[in-house]
Amino acid sequence: MAKAVIMPKAGITVESCIIGKFMKNIGDAVNVGDVLFTYETDKASFECESTEAGEILAFFFEEGDEVPCFTNVVAVGAKGEDYSALAPDGAAEAAAPAAKEEAPKAEEAPKAEAAAETTKTADGSIHISPRAKNLSERAGVDYTYAQPTGPNGRIIERDIRKLMEEGVPAAAQKAEEAAPAAAAAPAPAAPKAENGYEDIKFSGIRKVIAKSMVTSLSTMAQLTNHHSFDATAIQAFRKECKAAGGDVAGITLGDMVLYAVSRTLLNHKDLNANMIGDDTLRRFEHVNLGVAVDTPRGLMVPTIFNADTKSLLEISKEVKSLAEAARSGAISPDLLGGGTFTVSNLGATGVEMFTPVINPPQTGILGVCGITQRVREVNGQMSIYPAMGLSLTYDHRVVDGSPASKFVSELCKNLEKFTLLLAK
Amino acid sequence: MPKSLYYGPSEIRAKSIITFEDIPVNVYNKTVAEERANFKDEELVRIYRDITILREFESMLTSIKTQSVYNGVETTYPGPAHLSVGQEAACVGQAYLMTPNDYQFGSHRSHSEILAKALSSIEKLSDEELLKIMENFLGGSCLRAVEKMGACNSVKELAIRFILYGTLSEIFARKTGFHMGMGGSMHAFFLPFGVYPNNAIVGGSAPIAAGAALYKKVNDKDGFVVCNIGDGSLGCGPVWEAFNFACMDQFKTLWTEDNHQGGMPILFNIFNNGYGMGGQTRGETMAYDMLARIGAGITPSQMHAERIDGFNPLAVIDAMKRKLEILKKGEGPVLLDTLTYRFCGHSVSDQNAYREKSEINDWMEVDPIITYRQNLVDAGVAADSKFEEILAETRERMTNICRHAADKEFSPYCDFKADPQVVERIMFSNEKVASFGTDEPRVMAKKEECSRVQQIKGKSRFYLDEKGKPVSKMKTFNYRDAIFEPIIDKYYEDSTLVAYGEDVRDWGGAFAVYRGLPEVIPHSRLFNSPISEAAIVGSAVGYAMCGGRAIVELMYADFIGRAGDEIFNQMSKWQAMSAGILKMPVILRVSVGSKYGAQHSQDWTALCAHIPGLKVCFPATPWEAKGLMQSALNGSDPVVFFESQRIYDIGEQFHEGGVPEESYEIEFGDTNLVRSGKDVTILTVGAALYRAVKAADELKEKYGMEAEIINLHSLVPLNYEKIVASVRKTGRCVLVSDACQRGSFLNDIAANITEMCFDDLDAPCVVVGARNWITPPYEFDEFFFPQPSWIIDAIHSKIVPIPGYVAENEVSEVEWLRRNKAGV
Repeated sequence: MAKAVIMPKAGITVESCIIGKFMKNIGDAVNVGDVLFTYETDKASFECESTEAGEILAFFFEEGDEVPCFTNVVAVGAKGEDYSALAPDGAAEAAAPAAKEEAPKAEEAPKAEAAAETTKTADGSIHISPRAKNLSERAGVDYTYAQPTGPNGRIIERDIRKLMEEGVPAAAQKAEEAAPAAAAAPAPAAPKAENGYEDIKFSGIRKVIAKSMVTSLSTMAQLTNHHSFDATAIQAFRKECKAAGGDVAGITLGDMVLYAVSRTLLNHKDLNANMIGDDTLRRFEHVNLGVAVDTPRGLMVPTIFNADTKSLLEISKEVKSLAEAARSGAISPDLLGGGTFTVSNLGATGVEMFTPVINPPQTGILGVCGITQRVREVNGQMSIYPAMGLSLTYDHRVVDGSPASKFVSELCKNLEKFTLLLAK
Repeated sequence: MPKSLYYGPSEIRAKSIITFEDIPVNVYNKTVAEERANFKDEELVRIYRDITILREFESMLTSIKTQSVYNGVETTYPGPAHLSVGQEAACVGQAYLMTPNDYQFGSHRSHSEILAKALSSIEKLSDEELLKIMENFLGGSCLRAVEKMGACNSVKELAIRFILYGTLSEIFARKTGFHMGMGGSMHAFFLPFGVYPNNAIVGGSAPIAAGAALYKKVNDKDGFVVCNIGDGSLGCGPVWEAFNFACMDQFKTLWTEDNHQGGMPILFNIFNNGYGMGGQTRGETMAYDMLARIGAGITPSQMHAERIDGFNPLAVIDAMKRKLEILKKGEGPVLLDTLTYRFCGHSVSDQNAYREKSEINDWMEVDPIITYRQNLVDAGVAADSKFEEILAETRERMTNICRHAADKEFSPYCDFKADPQVVERIMFSNEKVASFGTDEPRVMAKKEECSRVQQIKGKSRFYLDEKGKPVSKMKTFNYRDAIFEPIIDKYYEDSTLVAYGEDVRDWGGAFAVYRGLPEVIPHSRLFNSPISEAAIVGSAVGYAMCGGRAIVELMYADFIGRAGDEIFNQMSKWQAMSAGILKMPVILRVSVGSKYGAQHSQDWTALCAHIPGLKVCFPATPWEAKGLMQSALNGSDPVVFFESQRIYDIGEQFHEGGVPEESYEIEFGDTNLVRSGKDVTILTVGAALYRAVKAADELKEKYGMEAEIINLHSLVPLNYEKIVASVRKTGRCVLVSDACQRGSFLNDIAANITEMCFDDLDAPCVVVGARNWITPPYEFDEFFFPQPSWIIDAIHSKIVPIPGYVAENEVSEVEWLRRNKAGV
């Protein structure tokens, strides 16, 4: 009897996922553990392994479809077997919201498996043998696409050879109709476009970002104030931290800004809030700080929950582990929402000022800019000091210019007297 | 036990008593006046001169070590100074009658012995002989230096300076020393004067000196051997082993085929100063009361032992004269208990906490440098002023020597920066020497008449016949034949070759390697030794030092522990400590056991491979065994030759064409590609090769994996080139041997491969060894020694999971951590 492979549940709060790419074709033989397709939540990407062995009889959805968790996606069985009973209702209809309402039939939904195995090992890192790594470099293939079959999830030589022979090129061909394989990272064997351009289909995450940004700018009254403050104090403190060694040495200027925001924001509660509909503001008692992270798959915003109750060191450590998890794609979707305010730090790129876009339904976002040397007059003398820029974008429907500026001014003061802030 | 000696109950059970001869104690009682009939006056005076030279040498070192200055020469050195102040008269008396052909071995406290023997030799050699010796030593470099030390009125004076300078600069670790400074205070010697090495290991010289005597006896060399050890060494087992080894009955009863019967020409002289470091031998640490008593416990002749007064040089000469007669008659060995006393401490850090100052003072009152001089003056041999002249001359000479030896430009150190390979070059001699002897090898019949040789002629030299069918074991040229063949060949080529060990003769060796040899080789070249592993190996070291080639056997490798010092400190180090002057063509055969439990089944290659200066091999096939034994027999270096009792009857399975009949060598360090493959490299040591082959068969038949097997028949030296090429090709490496995993030499190899092949490795190198247990009974071999499944498990679990394979044994990381945490 044919069996179904279902869409796994990738996190407690995840209701549905988007199918990224099918890794097999109808008629292919598969074993338990073979990767059937990739799927994405709005923030992370996973691989779904086959829970059945046999021939692929049918795909019930197409790439890009949003499929409710536990819904049958693939039918696997003996050649020619009837699989019609496995087809979920509403399959082939891409209308996700409709699908969302549908509960999958209980008897067809095997128990949720643990999160599907990916290239990464349990700790989220990639293990690869020196030989396999060398081979991947020589052959110009991206080993992150390799399926590890070595001990302890290690990518070994044969995994790279498999990738070279069949991995990505096969998938790229399947994408057919001249649309080369979409991927956050370029596929090694992707065919070159002949017209002097190439079309890149958005990944799930890219789509989410695009949608979210347009919604943000088209539904809010956003404006941005630019401030700067004297970064002498935080630079000095950073130096002390570095000299101290240990965990403390890892505290960055950005961590200090996050800490200062978490301590300043509760005096300006309209900025630590969510808009509910058109006429309700939900103000929060604690600061859940979203931190924008640049990842190979696109922008992700993991959240530091209750940042106002955490020490500088705790914030520093948490932001590092969140960023690492986001970059490796191993982050739980539960950590990618629930923010009350967001900080986006482009300081390291040398940005002098910018207009960050609010992450709805939040009401504000702080852009952290680079440090520039500025001149000022002190006791009749010209002196040079390091000025760090802060750009606050706020929703004018909720907050007016004056209170928004007051928030940033207080933030600047706290940062200029950072050790005093720490003492509070 | 040979059949020719009857061991019958009527004689053995008969009632009788054992009687002893009286043991003389300090019986010498002549006066100088009486001795003037036996010595010329100048000889009596020269004895005094020699004593002063020895005393001044030690006083100089005392001054340098304690005050960093001697007679205005400011210098110091960090090495040891175990001085013999007070013992000089005994040394001069002992050396007085010895010739350069008589060999002397010493202890850690032997400066005086070396110098006394050298001064005696200088007196006996002609000027031409002396010049020739000095000119030929190290290309004359030492002589050139001595010639620059100022005008010299005679060749003998030049030779005295030569010997003092060569010894002192050796102690100062200078390149101009007798061994480039590589030996130092406790390992100095000078072969052309018959001064053989002293030894930093207490009693270490006893088995070595016995081996030197064996060399003289077997090779019909003139002269005798004196073994100088201290009373403290009587607590050491190897010393007693050496006494017995040198006194074996068989020298009289069995060494008859080639007229070599008779006692060993060796005098064991104990310089009995009453202390072993600080431990007082008589009254505290020993049980003999008077040391001379012990000879009575060794032989019916009581080793002709007596106690003599080492504070009177004439008493010592008198005793030596009598004892040499005994040795010349072939009635040795002889034991002398030569009383003496050490005025100084054991070393300069000695606080003399173990003896009263008054005791030292009492001995100093009878110091021969005072009493012997007084006796000469009283007897009218010379005026007292003569002795003042001698003292002044001695001091002046020593100051000149010290000034030049201390001068770092005149006497430079070896330059390790400019010449980083200075020690590397002397670790092995790496010579090819077909024969160390010039005589016609003594045999009892032609090689072809040996039944074993005839038997081998009819054997198949490959394990399959021409039709590809296995040859019966009885008709296969096997591993033990492969070891036998080059040995019997060498017996007919090198007259110095001797082989001995426990039960090697009538039994043919515990594993029948030597079977047939007694038909053609006389006892003097192939004999049963006592169960004395230290004496077996130590004597071979002495035999080789003197210029002979020896194969000794310890039966089980586990008995290496019984010969630890002799293997690890003596056999391994003398080539380098002598700066290449000594050669060490000793082959030590040891066999890794099977079926005999925890103390008879261990592969101890790692212990031997760890020690610098030993070559270590472990052939696993007849082709390897013959080629390596031939290579070892043609070489000049010490080899520990591991064998395995699992494979003595196995035929050659790998080498195309089987084992060649003609002689061939396998170069030490080479490796044996047993099977080619592309998927994984399996490196093997010893009998584990055959289990690796089984694993490779299973990998190929069931899982389509092609394993490349390389057998490492040489561990030291080891040429990694072919290993590295293989691992670069396959990217995977398992190493297998029967040695316990922890500390196995394979870990060393694995680490080196990882360093050299890191970028090519698809997984870490995995070592598969025996469990870190005692070897359980044979019935449980499969739980202890690596099995084919262990090898496949290791590949599957740690290197490349094999589709469809299920591991048989627990090899998880958790299990690994647990075992190590528990130390098992």
